[in-house]
Amino acid sequence: MSTTASHPGKETLDRLEQRIVVEHDGTIVVRSGKVEYGQGIRTGFAKIVADELAVSLENVRVELGETDCVPWDMGTFGSMSTAVDGAIVRAAAAFARKILLDRAAVRLETPALELSIANGKVVTSDGRSISYQELVGAEPLTGIIPEGELTNHNVESPQDAPLRLEAHAIVTGSARYSGDIRLPGMLWGQALHPPVQGSEIVTLDEHGAHALPGVVALVRDQDFIGVVAQRSQQAIAAIRALQVEWKRPPGASEMPFEIALRSDSAIDMAFTAASRYLTAEYHVPHISHVPIGPSVAVADVREDEAHLYVSTQRPFGLRDQVAQLLGVSPSRVHIHMQMMSGTYGRGNMNDAAMDAVRLSRAVRRPVLVQWTREEEFRSSPHRPMLDARISAALNSEGMIAAWRYLTQTNLHTYGRAASLPSGVLEATSGRNAVPAYRVGCSEVLLRVAPAQVRTGAYRSLAAAPNVFAIESFMDELAHISGQPPLTFRLRHVEDERLRRVLCTVCERSNWDQKPRQSGHGFGMACAIYHGTYIAEVAEIEMDSTGQVHIEQVWCVVDAGRLVHPDGARNQIEGAIQQAASWTLFEELRIADGRVANISLKDYRIASFRDAIRQMDITFLPAQKFPSTGIGEAGSVPMAAALANAVFEASGVRVRRLPLTAATISAARILK
Amino acid sequence: MHYRLNVNRHLYEAEVPSGTPLLSVLRDDLGLTGTRFGCGQGICGACYVLADGQPVPSCMISIEEAAEKSILTIEGLSSGSDLHRVQRAFLEEDAMQCGYCISGILISAAALLMKTPKPSEEQICQALAPHFCRCGIYLRIIRAVKRAAA
Repeated sequence: MSTTASHPGKETLDRLEQRIVVEHDGTIVVRSGKVEYGQGIRTGFAKIVADELAVSLENVRVELGETDCVPWDMGTFGSMSTAVDGAIVRAAAAFARKILLDRAAVRLETPALELSIANGKVVTSDGRSISYQELVGAEPLTGIIPEGELTNHNVESPQDAPLRLEAHAIVTGSARYSGDIRLPGMLWGQALHPPVQGSEIVTLDEHGAHALPGVVALVRDQDFIGVVAQRSQQAIAAIRALQVEWKRPPGASEMPFEIALRSDSAIDMAFTAASRYLTAEYHVPHISHVPIGPSVAVADVREDEAHLYVSTQRPFGLRDQVAQLLGVSPSRVHIHMQMMSGTYGRGNMNDAAMDAVRLSRAVRRPVLVQWTREEEFRSSPHRPMLDARISAALNSEGMIAAWRYLTQTNLHTYGRAASLPSGVLEATSGRNAVPAYRVGCSEVLLRVAPAQVRTGAYRSLAAAPNVFAIESFMDELAHISGQPPLTFRLRHVEDERLRRVLCTVCERSNWDQKPRQSGHGFGMACAIYHGTYIAEVAEIEMDSTGQVHIEQVWCVVDAGRLVHPDGARNQIEGAIQQAASWTLFEELRIADGRVANISLKDYRIASFRDAIRQMDITFLPAQKFPSTGIGEAGSVPMAAALANAVFEASGVRVRRLPLTAATISAARILK
Repeated sequence: MHYRLNVNRHLYEAEVPSGTPLLSVLRDDLGLTGTRFGCGQGICGACYVLADGQPVPSCMISIEEAAEKSILTIEGLSSGSDLHRVQRAFLEEDAMQCGYCISGILISAAALLMKTPKPSEEQICQALAPHFCRCGIYLRIIRAVKRAAA
């Protein structure tokens, strides 16, 4: 994100030859700078092109993130792959189709309008045909991709069936993740990361480490310290044998930033004039990404070039970072994208790759660096915390007349707050801080402060925390004014598509008819996330110890035109389950700048025992609208839906996460 | 030290330091990288293999212990191009996202069906409880195991 404005790639127009190539055997190669990490874009892009060019999926090869051959891209985040790059790929395929039809018109001596396409060929109504590869021959398809859709080919509605191009490799174990790369002469490396971010080394005793078996080199490069060994366990043992005295950083390195996202001048007057007020404060703790595959990379640094075998959300960002470190041109750095464990935002930071580059440079051999689970918890960038204070005034009709939202969080992106281009803080740390409702006079102030731990991008950025606060508060307002939560929301909804998902989720869950009983509750929440409309209802049961169990979740989504319905459903299901885990269990315990819970034993995430056994996911038909993202939206309303269900079940309003028995019990005492 | 291992019905020889975890031998010496590293503490389930038919985390077994057992990894679950029924069911349900946890889960699911051909949802969750899927697709996986049992 930080390089958007400055990169020349943004100003140039997309060219067909960078996107789609027809090979001699008829294979259609599709290229994108986006990457695949389980969200299914390889399959999605292949489907788009297969549909637009009427070929079977097996004839399409999708190349993602290989910096030597794909067009420049900022990175894969923000649920933008299908919405933005998918749209370009679709336009490219449509443009390719037009050129192929024009060429065929000449070759077959038939007007283009009388031609159609099928199975990789252009065909005439009297049965003559010519294949795409014959039409391309030695003259590749080139040109600037025109904007706007070319609509002379009717693409059928996508088939709703499971499909994933990597599936066979995944179930047979042959899928190759970056940690599976084995190069001739490759060694294993580990870096030493400070227990408190920004600490400096005062003294280092490396004698014990040097003497250990298998240790090839100890590498010290200014503040960087690492070990290279013959085997992974030997590298880990050597790092643990280093005796280090650290000096803590002097204090916060950056001043907080304050940004007004909205500031209506009449706000104070609106509060004074109203008949009822409510103020509440919400807190969301730091949580960890916990990718099942910890960060890992292989670097092969040679005299004047480097090869990286990695899984990163930002291949071009990594390329430039490595080029800068090595002092070579970016064209000498080759990023080879491998299969990627889901990282949910953590993959924006290329920690293991940079460790590997430093170590490989020192030993001039390929080096694999795999972070340990402990390092992942201790040293990776975590989700920022959120403190939100909301005040609202209701008028005599029970409508919101004034709204004041003060939120404090940390950096949700990489880089330093001071060096980010304008608009980035608002779009990341301020994401979904402005409510999706008509709220009268409003003030929304965002404060971005340094955190005790490293922070960075996490699925949906600040949206999930902000929506937890806002949608909990909407329920509180409905409750104090004696209005049903759906009715109260609908009275403030302006957007027809938001109204539609809210009403549908209440119909699907039979909200009005379900019997209510103590210890059992339903909660709703909704959001507009990056153009995707979503509403969720959670049904929960609280046991005698106060633990929350999710019985069922209903979710209604309007994400415009769906490319791959079952893939989209899979994403929504996974996001709901992941967000349920954040909400019910997760919190990094941080004391004095150190993360205390650094193992999966001490940091609980949802397991099969906590699985949500019933989910009802509905996609509203919206084929006429452009495709929007589905990778993150499902996670956004979940926390508020659960907190609202806890309120219904117990009468306790819990304003801090996670919703453990202890937090709920503490909130009950404060009631 | 020199060791002989029985993995996927093949005999392998390995020259590794004593006490090396089986996971490292599989991945770093035998080229069987389908078994994944997740935590190295036996908690996440990514590295499960069958040792004499029992699902175990291969990061917690030393090569000495493994050498006495018959080991089956994800690479040995299918016979040739013939997929095991749990593998087929996972394909049919698209019970995966990033796929990183899937090798270990398939191993435990196959072991469950050997012992309990028609498991209940409870039994499936119980058997798969040692495995985390951070993409959060537990529901699909439960569905896939039921399909494999049908």
